[in-house]
Amino acid sequence: MHSLFVTGRLISRALFNGIHNSFSTATDPKLQLKTEPHLVSAVCGFSKERTIQRLVRGQFGDDAWFTAKYKSADVLGVADGVGGWRSYGIDPGEFSLHLMKTCERLVNLGRFTPNNPSELLANSYYELLHHKKAILGSSTACVVLLNRENSTLYTANIGDSGFMVVRKGRVIRRSEEQQHYFNTPFQLSLPPPGYRADVLSDRPESASSDNFPVEDGDVILVATDGVFDNLPQNIILNELLKCQGERCASRLQMVANSIAWMARSLSFDETFVSPFAERAFANGINTLGGKPDDITVILATVAI
Amino acid sequence: MANNTFIPVENVFKMRYLEQFVHKVVHCSSRYSNQRNYSYSPINLVGKYVKYPSYGDSPEAYFLRSYGKWWKDSIAAQKEYRPQDFDLLGAEDFIVVEFDCIVVPREIFIYEIYHPGAVIRIWGRLRKDKKWYLLWEGFPQKCAARSRKFSPPLRKYNCLINLLRIEFNQNHLDYHTAIDAVLLSGYEPETEITYELIKNGLTQVRTEKPIGPTVNDFELSDCDTDKPKCSRDVFSMLPDEIILNIFQYLDLKSLSRCAQVNSRWNKLSQDQTLYQNINLKIYWYLVDVNTLEYLLNKIKNIKKLDLSWCNEYQCDFSTRLHYDYHNKLQSVIETASKTLTHLSMNDNYFVDYDILNEISKCKELVDLRLHHTFNWIRWPKDVLTKLVSLDLSMTNIIDQDLIQILIANPNLEHLVLDLCEQIIDMDFVVETVINFNKKLKAWSSWKTMSITSEGVRKFGLCNNLEELDLGWCLMNHVPDGLAEIAQGCRKLRRLILSEWRGISDQLLMPLILSCKELTQIDLIGIKNITSELCEKALYLLPKLRLLDLSFCDGIRQEEVEIWRQQYPHITIQRSCVYLYQNLN
Repeated sequence: MHSLFVTGRLISRALFNGIHNSFSTATDPKLQLKTEPHLVSAVCGFSKERTIQRLVRGQFGDDAWFTAKYKSADVLGVADGVGGWRSYGIDPGEFSLHLMKTCERLVNLGRFTPNNPSELLANSYYELLHHKKAILGSSTACVVLLNRENSTLYTANIGDSGFMVVRKGRVIRRSEEQQHYFNTPFQLSLPPPGYRADVLSDRPESASSDNFPVEDGDVILVATDGVFDNLPQNIILNELLKCQGERCASRLQMVANSIAWMARSLSFDETFVSPFAERAFANGINTLGGKPDDITVILATVAI
Repeated sequence: MANNTFIPVENVFKMRYLEQFVHKVVHCSSRYSNQRNYSYSPINLVGKYVKYPSYGDSPEAYFLRSYGKWWKDSIAAQKEYRPQDFDLLGAEDFIVVEFDCIVVPREIFIYEIYHPGAVIRIWGRLRKDKKWYLLWEGFPQKCAARSRKFSPPLRKYNCLINLLRIEFNQNHLDYHTAIDAVLLSGYEPETEITYELIKNGLTQVRTEKPIGPTVNDFELSDCDTDKPKCSRDVFSMLPDEIILNIFQYLDLKSLSRCAQVNSRWNKLSQDQTLYQNINLKIYWYLVDVNTLEYLLNKIKNIKKLDLSWCNEYQCDFSTRLHYDYHNKLQSVIETASKTLTHLSMNDNYFVDYDILNEISKCKELVDLRLHHTFNWIRWPKDVLTKLVSLDLSMTNIIDQDLIQILIANPNLEHLVLDLCEQIIDMDFVVETVINFNKKLKAWSSWKTMSITSEGVRKFGLCNNLEELDLGWCLMNHVPDGLAEIAQGCRKLRRLILSEWRGISDQLLMPLILSCKELTQIDLIGIKNITSELCEKALYLLPKLRLLDLSFCDGIRQEEVEIWRQQYPHITIQRSCVYLYQNLN
């Protein structure tokens, strides 16, 4: 009974986050009428915690996300705060949330180059240093940018969050994981002074970037490792097929919800051979089941 | 009567009503951010509000650098050059913002999201025109700690504007003020003809009040009516010397009125002894080529000259006027160069290499303020030698030139280098100061990034140091020079160490134990300090008046509340972010 109650709350919470977003895209008549290329997007996600601590728009547990629009581009991004900081008394969600919020703000102010998401990520990272409130921690991040002028998708990825682009039932591009070693992704970090030497810190410039032209109806999935570690690619692909060319934000939302919900269910399934378990096995670690993690899904379709 | 004759131009012509947010920030005299950063910077004024109606210390708004009396009380702060020429409303800083569309202004909303109440004046102007219209002025307000959509009643002008200049007086505030956005609403002319008619004032409607601050005018007119009418002119019996002596106490505006009384007064009012100290800052909107021309003949004996803010000819409408003004400015300084001891040209666009060249020939200069003059890079060959105070904050000065100046001025006591981002090796600057400027009392290099622990350590040799502002300088190091400062700088009164994130109790303790003169300590954003240190500081420092513990996560709010009660004479700052309070 208890778990049912919690689940109900989780779903409603996920919906609150997602619907809020879909409203902003669906009800804005200017964006609907636009003939320029743009993204229709929906967001869903769950915190790993079964109890809900706080309800913050743009955050699921230690994960954070943003979607933003400017004249020249549509930008989506996710970040996954590294949980190891909790033992130092640092909230891992804070870094990722601020990183994404800053990206969002820079996009809204137009302070970015519409073909360089790595630069956006880097500027956002350096900006964090200048907050009065010291923001410490580290995070992986993935930013996807649709340039409206040439209908090209520019991506920047650091660590094991990632994106996947599907066209006519086939995966045409998928981000590669950047890892130092198993289960330790590349990460942007702001360690407390004095710990600098002991902390893994990758320069924002080390983000892997990519660009490729997109077509009308392409489906873009941007998600944190909570999704890619728990859902095999064929399941994701099956879901993504359902929203090929979808222009309706609320139908897109349903697919996003189902992906997030499946990832969440499987992450607590102790017998399931998840992609994470497969990779662990390849690294000589014998484990089974999903990897309980925060889950964030941003689903978008290209409308040209 | 005048009130009745005003006919809003929108009732006469067909005009489009529109509301718009800021398009671009043109100029600002104060900022809390580095040039390329967005947190707390003026750029945040652009576009729609993002935080309003939440209230709090959020990096997504524009912050003014100073608040309260703390900055004015600094020994490095500029003293008034001509105290009778003061601004009744006390404008300290200003910002100029540009809007997309040209409108006849009818309403302005200023979204203040932290410590509101600093706005005292709003001016409007057309970018391609030079005339500023005073849309509103009022005394600074004490407001509740709540976000505020400030909408002052505007004076009714049928003028076209797309620039707004907002002036602030933050002296009464308890902490930094923050503005999220500015909304300008009004009527846009639909046709070219309407535009031209309004622009040239041909709409046959009279403005309600004359342009320019009227507070002074009101006072004057009150005085006039109260004065008993004398049939004899007592004044004319006084000898010239006495009249001159009286004239000395007049502000420039009254003096120019006196000049219109009769020929004798006119002659007397032009006497050079009256123009020893000149402050044109508060008349910035009136200063033009003619003003400078008028001064040119009277400033042979000038001592102090304040030309801050006087750059209204920096507009796009005429390069010739710009050129004339620049040349006139140059000759004013040239004429004054023999005697000038104090010169202030804060926020003046016109300070470029040529002007600087003239300034560097003013050999008697003791006090030089060039805050936020950014149109120069290199300092001329000549250097001054008698400087005591030097303010180069928000300029592009480079290491080499600064060091040259420092070496030539052994008497230097106050040095302000806030936000001088072109200085690459601050440690070497500090070393130069130690060797050549033994009298240094105040050092400020707030938000400059190039100092290291080594440089900090050297301040220990500056035995006369009273004020040390190193806020935001050492963000990610563990500094180890504080013990030396504690040893060497016993006279330290003001210490700003904002965002020295590597600092801990042990590093700070020596300072608190040995610098008994400390009155201001700023420890913003230092996570590691504990309440033990703060209790020691509050208890052991008898002269402490300001302790800023904002964003010190190691200290609980309840403790701060207790200290506030225990030490009511000490202002303990504790700023907070209510970042995610989403009230939409």
